[in-house]
Amino acid sequence: MKMNLTAALVYFSLLAVGCGQTETATTPSKAIEVDMRYAATTEPADAVPVGEARSSSEDGQDITLVGVIGGSSKPFVEGLAAFTVVDPKIPSCADEEGCPTPWDYCCTQDQVKENIATIKIVDDSGKPISKDAREFLDLKELSTVVVTGKAKRDDQGNLTVAASKVFVRTEE
Amino acid sequence: MLAFAVDCCAWWSQAGASILNLPFEIFHLMLLPWEYGVRNLARRPVRTALTLVALATVVMLVFVVVGFIRGLEQSLSVSGDENVVLVYSVNSEENIENSSIAARTPSLVTACVDGTVKRFDVTHVSPELYLGTRVKTSESDGGLGLVRGVSVAAPLARRSVKLIDGIWPGEGEVMVGRLAAAKLGSSDEAMTIGNSVEFEGRSWTISGRFAAGGAAYESEIWCRLGDFQTATKRQDLSLVAMLLSPGSSPAEIQLFCKERTDLELRAIRETDYYASLQQHYKPVRLLAWFVVVLVSGAGIFAGLNMMYGAVAGRIREIATLQAIGFRRRAILFSLVQEGVLLAATGSLLSGVIALTMLNGMAVRFTMGAFTLRIDSVAILIGCGVGLLLGVVGALPPALKALRAEVATSLKAV
Repeated sequence: MKMNLTAALVYFSLLAVGCGQTETATTPSKAIEVDMRYAATTEPADAVPVGEARSSSEDGQDITLVGVIGGSSKPFVEGLAAFTVVDPKIPSCADEEGCPTPWDYCCTQDQVKENIATIKIVDDSGKPISKDAREFLDLKELSTVVVTGKAKRDDQGNLTVAASKVFVRTEE
Repeated sequence: MLAFAVDCCAWWSQAGASILNLPFEIFHLMLLPWEYGVRNLARRPVRTALTLVALATVVMLVFVVVGFIRGLEQSLSVSGDENVVLVYSVNSEENIENSSIAARTPSLVTACVDGTVKRFDVTHVSPELYLGTRVKTSESDGGLGLVRGVSVAAPLARRSVKLIDGIWPGEGEVMVGRLAAAKLGSSDEAMTIGNSVEFEGRSWTISGRFAAGGAAYESEIWCRLGDFQTATKRQDLSLVAMLLSPGSSPAEIQLFCKERTDLELRAIRETDYYASLQQHYKPVRLLAWFVVVLVSGAGIFAGLNMMYGAVAGRIREIATLQAIGFRRRAILFSLVQEGVLLAATGSLLSGVIALTMLNGMAVRFTMGAFTLRIDSVAILIGCGVGLLLGVVGALPPALKALRAEVATSLKAV
């Protein structure tokens, strides 16, 4: 009787461990319901990288910008659809360097200053959407995005794009 | 009348014993009398007293460590205001002491971002210069203190701070937190109003004392921002604390910091800042819990030692009990009862000492100072460990003694 009970306990323990592992392996990542009002289905043409846009764009100009999400350890603004992008020519920390947050560009921080822009996704009235961009667009750190919108410049050279559409390049 | 009362008591004690023994009687288990275990403890008073001291010490150490953990957690959890946003340098990571931002930051942020509380034309924004520096008191040569230069707007953003004695600091004056003396390793007397402290090459007179409901500021020294900037020869600030109006979100300020990359700012809700410190100190807390386990382990050995000794000298007695009809389980129960009784007494003693002497004791720590907190959780863990020591310490020697043959044990010398 005791042997049977022990065997049953071992069996159920193994079953439980096995089930747990299968579940972990097959659990899909949290699905994002993409809001098509702000997502572009095709990549806009003639996108300019961030560095070039900082030197050539003017305040109020329509712009198509390409960049990689990053520039700090937390590039997304929590509670608002806004994030920072860095020029794709700036290398982020390589995998083999073991950096836990390669999107902060800690290895190339000196180059980031002149190659960073802020993207805020705005509604029809021009106000930033009051929810995290990751909640309605398939975005994550180091995603390459192409955004279309209006440039906002200031005297200090900062570039902000009030974006109406965001296209996310798929990873090659 | 007295005889009647005695009869009643006897009847009640018999009835009580019957009820208590009911589950055992169901299994036909005759227990040894309660007094047997109690008297056994008194048979070897020195050994019992020494074991009691050892167990009480172990439980006391558990109280100290758990009180430390609870105090640290409490200090960080009450620090910070849900409606306050801190703006500081993006390059300082989590250490505001290392932050340096432009002096114009408060006016820039308030001009560009709505949502800060403004009453009677006063914006609830506190520009602050905050750093760790060596502070000398009349009693000590100098410990590392935390000094915050503030303006008169500070209490508008730091709503938990209350002046409990004296007045707001004037020129060349400071007010000290309730735990500032502990942080400096000095006595409270050296930090009383009218005394002087020395830091950044200047002497400062203490004009007041403040409390902040157990928050981290209580270990700080506050002085006027301008005076502190002059003393440190700095014109910058460390941070800006902004009180948000109801319904406002820190996201607006965070967006401003992202847009103004030239200023190299970051914004974080004050409660999130202290939550990140909780994470920062997680290894310390884990280490403290590990110490609890180690100390408990040592305590179990003390209990084992005592009970092995107690049982080794009573092998014939235990065999005799078996011979006259007491079952092994009943004897085991009685031996465990001895261990638990001793451990419970030790726990009780330590609990009383911890509550009366340790609770509220100030402890110096890297982030400032906090008080040991012997709360219900600490009491539960301390006493739980104490009782566990009694049970686990008594079981192995009791089982060993009972495993021997009755006939052999009766002949044991």
